[in-house]
Amino acid sequence: MLSKIAGFEIRYQLFSPTFIAVFAIFFLLVFGGITIDNIQIGGGGSTNINSPNALTINVMIFSLFGGFIPAAFLSSGILRDRSFKTEELFFSRPIREADFVLGRFTGGFIATALCFASVPLAFLIGSQMPWLDQELIGPTNLAWFGYIYAVVGLVNMWVMGTILFTVANFTRSNLLVWIAFLLLFVLYLTGSIIAGQEPELRDTIAMIDPFGLNTFGEMTRYWTTFEQNSQVVPFEGVFMMNRLGWMGFGLLLLVINVLSFRFRKAASSGGRRGKPAAVSVPSSAISEVALPRVTPTLGGATSWQQFLARLNFEVKGVVFNVAFWIILAIGLINTVPGFFLGGGIFGTDNYPVTRVMMDIIAGGYGIFPIIIVIFYAAELMWRERGVGFSEITDATPTPSWVFIVSKFLAMCVVIVSLAVVIIVSAIISQLIQGYTVFEFGQYAIRGFIELIVPPVLLAALAIFLQVVLNNRWLGMAAMMVFFVVSLVMSQVGFDHQLYSYGFPPTGPWSDMNGYGHFLGIALWYSLYWSFVATILLVLAYQLWSRGALTPIWSRLGGLFGRFTPATSGLAAAALIGAGLTGGWIFYNTNVLNEYTSGPDSRHEQAAYERQYEHLVDLPQPTITDTSYDVDIYPDERRYEARGSYVLQNQTDGPLDTLWISYGPGTSIRNQAFEGASIATSDEASYIYSFALDVPMQPGESRTFDFSVERANPGFRNSGNVTTVNYNGTFFNNGESMPGIGVNQGIFLQDRQQRRREGLEPLPRAYDLEDESRWTESAFGNTSHYVSFRTIVSTSLDQIAIAPGYLEREWVEGDRRYFEYVMDRPILNFYSWLSADYELAERTRDGIDLQVFYHEPHAWNVERMLEASEDSLGYFSEHFSPYQYRQFRILEFPAYQSFAQSFPNTIPFSESIGFIADLREIEDIDYVYYVTAHEAAHQWWAHQVMSANVQGGTMLIESFAQYSALMVMRQEYGADAMRRFLKYELDRYLGARGSEAIEEQPLYRVENQQYIHYRKGSVIMYALQDYLGEDVVNHVMQRLIDERAYSSEPYATTLDFLRILREEAGPEHEQMIHDFFERIVLFDLKVTEATATQREDGRWDVVIDVEAHKFSADGAGEQTEEDIDYMIDIGIFTRDLDGPIEGSDHVLYMEKHRVNETTMRFELIVDEEPVFVGIDPYNKLIDRDSDDNLSRVTIE
Amino acid sequence: MLEIKGLSKTYGNKVRALDGVDLSIPKGMFGLLGPNGAGKSTLMRTIATLQAPDKGTLTFGEIDILKDPQALRATLGYLPQDFGVYPRMSARAMLDHLAVLKGISNGKQRKEVVTGLLEQTNLAQHANKAVASFSGGMRQRFGIAQALLGDPQLIIVDEPTAGLDPEERNRFHNLLSEIGENVVVILSTHIVEDVSDLCPNMAILNGGKIVAKGSPGELIAQMDGKVWARTIAKSELAGLRSQYNIISERLTVGQVRIHVVSDSNPGEGFEPIQADLEDVYFATIRQGQSAPAVAA
Repeated sequence: MLSKIAGFEIRYQLFSPTFIAVFAIFFLLVFGGITIDNIQIGGGGSTNINSPNALTINVMIFSLFGGFIPAAFLSSGILRDRSFKTEELFFSRPIREADFVLGRFTGGFIATALCFASVPLAFLIGSQMPWLDQELIGPTNLAWFGYIYAVVGLVNMWVMGTILFTVANFTRSNLLVWIAFLLLFVLYLTGSIIAGQEPELRDTIAMIDPFGLNTFGEMTRYWTTFEQNSQVVPFEGVFMMNRLGWMGFGLLLLVINVLSFRFRKAASSGGRRGKPAAVSVPSSAISEVALPRVTPTLGGATSWQQFLARLNFEVKGVVFNVAFWIILAIGLINTVPGFFLGGGIFGTDNYPVTRVMMDIIAGGYGIFPIIIVIFYAAELMWRERGVGFSEITDATPTPSWVFIVSKFLAMCVVIVSLAVVIIVSAIISQLIQGYTVFEFGQYAIRGFIELIVPPVLLAALAIFLQVVLNNRWLGMAAMMVFFVVSLVMSQVGFDHQLYSYGFPPTGPWSDMNGYGHFLGIALWYSLYWSFVATILLVLAYQLWSRGALTPIWSRLGGLFGRFTPATSGLAAAALIGAGLTGGWIFYNTNVLNEYTSGPDSRHEQAAYERQYEHLVDLPQPTITDTSYDVDIYPDERRYEARGSYVLQNQTDGPLDTLWISYGPGTSIRNQAFEGASIATSDEASYIYSFALDVPMQPGESRTFDFSVERANPGFRNSGNVTTVNYNGTFFNNGESMPGIGVNQGIFLQDRQQRRREGLEPLPRAYDLEDESRWTESAFGNTSHYVSFRTIVSTSLDQIAIAPGYLEREWVEGDRRYFEYVMDRPILNFYSWLSADYELAERTRDGIDLQVFYHEPHAWNVERMLEASEDSLGYFSEHFSPYQYRQFRILEFPAYQSFAQSFPNTIPFSESIGFIADLREIEDIDYVYYVTAHEAAHQWWAHQVMSANVQGGTMLIESFAQYSALMVMRQEYGADAMRRFLKYELDRYLGARGSEAIEEQPLYRVENQQYIHYRKGSVIMYALQDYLGEDVVNHVMQRLIDERAYSSEPYATTLDFLRILREEAGPEHEQMIHDFFERIVLFDLKVTEATATQREDGRWDVVIDVEAHKFSADGAGEQTEEDIDYMIDIGIFTRDLDGPIEGSDHVLYMEKHRVNETTMRFELIVDEEPVFVGIDPYNKLIDRDSDDNLSRVTIE
Repeated sequence: MLEIKGLSKTYGNKVRALDGVDLSIPKGMFGLLGPNGAGKSTLMRTIATLQAPDKGTLTFGEIDILKDPQALRATLGYLPQDFGVYPRMSARAMLDHLAVLKGISNGKQRKEVVTGLLEQTNLAQHANKAVASFSGGMRQRFGIAQALLGDPQLIIVDEPTAGLDPEERNRFHNLLSEIGENVVVILSTHIVEDVSDLCPNMAILNGGKIVAKGSPGELIAQMDGKVWARTIAKSELAGLRSQYNIISERLTVGQVRIHVVSDSNPGEGFEPIQADLEDVYFATIRQGQSAPAVAA
């Protein structure tokens, strides 16, 4: 019997249109994902397109969205009989209940499994397509497919299936099944967010993630490219426990279903709790009653009344349903944890400013309202048919628009309620956190534009699709297809916002600049899409199957015949409105500005490179002197600049041509070179050449004068983040000021894109040993150190700042002028800023320390001043004197999140420190760290500049990290550094797998951030730990002595390593070689630790350790080698997690020689030991840094 | 009042649900008889503006139903063959809501009408209970109540007595016939008795075609003297089937009573009987079924 039921169920599901449609959709999504450039999921970098890693990620992601599949095939096995009213038929047969449930489940699950097989199948077939980049195709191993399909795909289908089946069985409600799906999804998302912010919870989340995504992420966190390409996640550890646990959970649910299933339950009135048939007294059917004769009135006021009644009815239907409240609750689960985690950096929270709260809401919202829209569109549009009441309502003289519009507005009620509830909860959580600066205006504007407009627009589309397709499931699937198609379109070049329905582009919010010019852009698009939504709703009204469902073609046939003056008027008005607003948008994006699709602009970049590549190393004059008059007009978001350079021929021969290029989008008013005339003008590429009447002789200098404007008319299709803002302008000379020679910044950088354009790979950096590049700075070969002066004007209410010292300040008309002069040569790289600033300052040793900040952001300004003071003090003492009399930090809007060091001038984003909440003592004080890092650049970049070869960024960034770490250690103590270093280690190891070409050892770093920042921190900290801080600082001093302000040559890592070897002595040779010149990893682990109290009260501690050392190649393939290192052995009275103050908890901390893979250390300490560790502070690079520590067993 | 001309409807799967239906339906009760699948529901839904025909015209008084469905809906009461209800909604609330949809905009009047209808259908004491909890008969009465909202001139009731016990059916008939005095009531059913009891006019629909129409009396008169009955043993049935035009067989206590249509006495053992509507119905249906067979 069971097999018969199961067989019937399989046949029923397999031949249903739903199966075919869902199979096809998933197949096409995965196939498209793997075969269309730019949208590959799980690949990226130099990981193969068909790597087992990419396969796993595909299967995981699609099993997440594939919760749709068991919802369709499994829960329908339970719910179908009721909706088809065949329940009595089945339930009256002599079928055992267990057989029925198991049969339906088995059949449905097999259908689900077959349907989901579309995903690995599409991946397999897609990866064989000939047009794929063959360099990124690895071997195909069918065993991987079977394994991943089973442990990821099938297990997830099983988990989701059993849960949804159970919900369906116990509630008999499609709605609640959908909500259960939503809840699982949101739980997964919340888990990922928490795992991202609270690393200590990662293991727990990996264990309980029902989809195994976080588990997989945890297992493969540090996988290198080589590992991603060559192995699947093994069935062991937390992954195995997670999978087995959830399989068991599913089995348990199934058993509960089988044991508790009773036919009669299904036969009751829909499983609702209301008592059925409460009335049994027979009463006569008819009484003699004189009915009042009322003739219906129609149209006009009656229609309005019908509309209100209907709206009231639909809204009540939604709001009085438990689903609505569950959705609100899920919305809160989705966002509220974020309100308290605060989206900070290094585990340090931000103050809950409204900008952060709204960012968290908008980020957490994500796909959530989309799911609601898809669901409610189906639920509302099928409501009457669902309960079997549609024939009665459809036969009433109520106009069709009343039905459609009231359903649409009911969806709007859900959307608005959700937004309001979440915003109110954000405000409450601000209150709970003691933050009371409520920005209701920001909540209202951003809530409307970011949370309400997009889902409302989507609701109109979802209704339209439900009407056109006349099938609940197809209508829902069509919405999903719509999202995928819009995603793909933007990726393959159809990226004009005019046809990406539903998501008006919104700009980032900045506390300094508010929405700025983005408000207007968002409103124009909202208006435009609203007109389109109106057209969709009119069409939905015209095409609606009132009464019997009619195929779409027959409805389309009669479409125009059904237009009434009212609907055609409305449609025409909406069309005109869409035309006008669309035209205005087009005028802005394509006429006032230039629109180029992604692929087109890549073609243009490639063409530019082909045309001007020969200029790259062409001998050119060098800039030696610069001066600028800059007028910033914040209200108009533009600036004008007039300037003059002195160019000198520093080559050995005469020069007869000068090439000048400008950043794209610059308006060039005037340019003139002494004794030369313009020879070629390529206005589209912003590059010009001047022919010199008399060639420039070696050593000769001439002046170059120019006048440019950077205007930002209207708005662009994309990239509307501009450097000039109503409040918070920040641009550098690379944007619009003339540069010498070709603009290499335009060249395509991405290797895959270059291959597609037929370009040779661009070397990331010149070879370290290429001495011809030693006389070029890392900024390029067109200048060295230049003199700099500028007059900058801005509006009256703002302060304008540039590098240099303020010489003069005056007001002329409604403009405020500042003149800055730098008294010593600086690198040819500087910025101008203008904003309405507050100023905090102090003086130390004759140096003015200043922070220019946005008034409400005063929290950490004093901390920045302290950090500046400490940093300048330490660096001046240990490296060399500070070269300027002034040190300024300037806040700029959150459109970017970095701080950047210019001479005596440090622009610092409002998002990375100004709003950090440093009140928790155990949190990492990254404001202090970032400030110290930027201060260090006044030495590492502005005193010692690196040459244009490999390893250059080590001298700048790794040294700035080192300098900052030393200041932090001085402030917080050596024992508190572990927490920060663990972050750095984690970020280094986690980024190796995304390497685009190959990992370099530190001394050859090719501007790879994970190496020069993250690995740099760990290595430099360990270096000073082994050699002593003084030795390393002495090396730094010698490097500065040799190379400060030197351009002949600039510094290289070879200089550093030479000095280091001299200072360290030969006994550290192996370590220096391993740290800088190779990629070396350790695996250190305490296997057992016991302690016994001695008779004298002290403690004998026995520590067994395992120690391995590996070297890795650029792809991350490891080879073990013999270990012989001095490594810390530590004994502590507490765990090392949590805030650390002082070092009372350290009983023992010494370096021991470790030269075997298993060793035993026997030590004596004074107090009872609780934790021991080998390299407990994680100074060495170790892929499992947690097992370095172990709790001590007391015997 | 209701004129139907040349109405045809073919479904996507080539099923001809209606095939050139012509009918003229005057005021009063009109019975539409037909076996299951004859096209009754399609015809009812077409008249009720819920389905568009492929061909044909439909007018009700001055109203061209196909061109102006809203005008018909304003004067239509429709009780579908099978309807469900919203959960948790009381009979009064539901009726009030429907009254608004029917265009009874004056709140006071609406309240009177709703109360009146609830009393008329004897649902007043259950007015505040959820319709979902009603018994079959009560739910059907609720259906009639909503169909009577807004003083309709055309009332369509599709298989209204299915699932009702005899007593309830009786009451239901009384209710219908009372309403049917002044307006057009189309009663679609496959139960002959319903029509013979209530309807001055009727038609029989079979295979999408009108195979007979007129008053029950006229139709019976046409059959007068042509219907013969005989009681036989069960075992004889097979033999007699091939011999005679049997229109009905009724099993009683191990024996079978058969009705046969014949212009003259068909033979031994047959006795003439007074024809009734059921004989008319079965005879008509039989003709319809055998006709294609002959043609083939």
